[in-house]
Amino acid sequence: MKKIMRLAIPLVFWLSVWALAALAVGQDLLLPGPLAVGGRLLALAGTADFWLSVGATLCRVFLGLLWGTLAGVALAFATHFFPWADRLISPAIRVVRATPVVSFILLVYLWVARSAIPWVIAGLMVLPVVWGALSAGLDGMDEKWLEFARVYRFSRLKTLRLVCLPALRPHFSAGLLTAFGLAWKSGVAAEVLCPPARAIGSRIQQAKLGLETPDLFAWTLTIVVLSLALEGLFRTALERGNRS
Amino acid sequence: MIKVQNITVRYGEKLVLDRFCLEIPAQGLTALSGPSGCGKTTLLRVAMGLVRPSEGSVSGVDPARTAFLFQEDRLLPWRTVAQHITDVLPRFRRGEAGRWLAFAELEGEENAYPAALSGGMARRLAMARCAALGGDLFLMDEPFAGVDPERTARILDRLRELDVPVVLATHQPQVLAVCDRVVSLDGPPLRRI
Repeated sequence: MKKIMRLAIPLVFWLSVWALAALAVGQDLLLPGPLAVGGRLLALAGTADFWLSVGATLCRVFLGLLWGTLAGVALAFATHFFPWADRLISPAIRVVRATPVVSFILLVYLWVARSAIPWVIAGLMVLPVVWGALSAGLDGMDEKWLEFARVYRFSRLKTLRLVCLPALRPHFSAGLLTAFGLAWKSGVAAEVLCPPARAIGSRIQQAKLGLETPDLFAWTLTIVVLSLALEGLFRTALERGNRS
Repeated sequence: MIKVQNITVRYGEKLVLDRFCLEIPAQGLTALSGPSGCGKTTLLRVAMGLVRPSEGSVSGVDPARTAFLFQEDRLLPWRTVAQHITDVLPRFRRGEAGRWLAFAELEGEENAYPAALSGGMARRLAMARCAALGGDLFLMDEPFAGVDPERTARILDRLRELDVPVVLATHQPQVLAVCDRVVSLDGPPLRRI
């Protein structure tokens, strides 16, 4: 009961602030109230296009997360174990990390098909985060454990399985959780700026162009709810993985 | 026979072993005793090939057939007590895990993680893992640090029953009293004896 109240009280408070602000403004075009937005969200959720758009966006975000993670892991191992790879690749990754996502979206727009831009961008945002987290884990790996593995005649595979991977897991999980949030935000931002045929970002862009502010709010609310729900699921899955 | 010949080891400016020589018969229990910092750990690590001396050599120790107990426990926080033992056993000897847990009096703690063990229990687990690994020689650095005297006596008996030569570094009088020979190393740097 206490937990429900802890969630409900802030929610009711902020919905009330929103409703009062909407009343004060008095124009749905500028600030629709929670009831108008809720009504539009329910109406949209009753259409197939809503779910297809949500599904397509999720696929793109997860595709970006997948390739960004795989590339981040591979490059973290390469830059840790090969000094020449570190000298060559690390500065490039730092440049990627420092570049604003909007610049990347506009640049990638010149080079790849519109439908591919969101997952390419999402992956580009994920890669430096996973690389950074894993590199920190590799750099901080206790040399004493590796010495133990050598003295106790562990094979390389056994050392990797029993010593290295478990030691890296907390770093990897933390990096992946941060990367997931980034993939989601950058993927949708790319969809808004370079709208594919079916996507949440495309619907946001259409709502903006048509001055359908309640729709704009409804789609934004969809993103927030999905982001929080998926992050919660993701966090639970990673914590379970760490425990096992 | 383990022969240490003219070993010199420096850590930066600090001279730890200075043309040090020693011969130890490869049988029974041999204790290396001396005050903290006198070079016992360094000597064991040189013998195991973990520290490269600037000069000299060690013969009679094959690191591939020697079980080494580190000065620290070096337990893996994500492995259980039983897994620490099975991890060092070949597949066909996995059934022996119980024997080695009994060796260190850790029965009933199979599923505990290192964080749940006391200092003495962690030390006994490290020792059981070392003994389970097995070999032609045991090199043990402070094996009974934090272990209570009654258990120390019982585990020493079991160690002797394994019939593997043991060279251990210790300054515990109780352990020194039951060893077959004691090599006293006094004050750094260790010189030719």
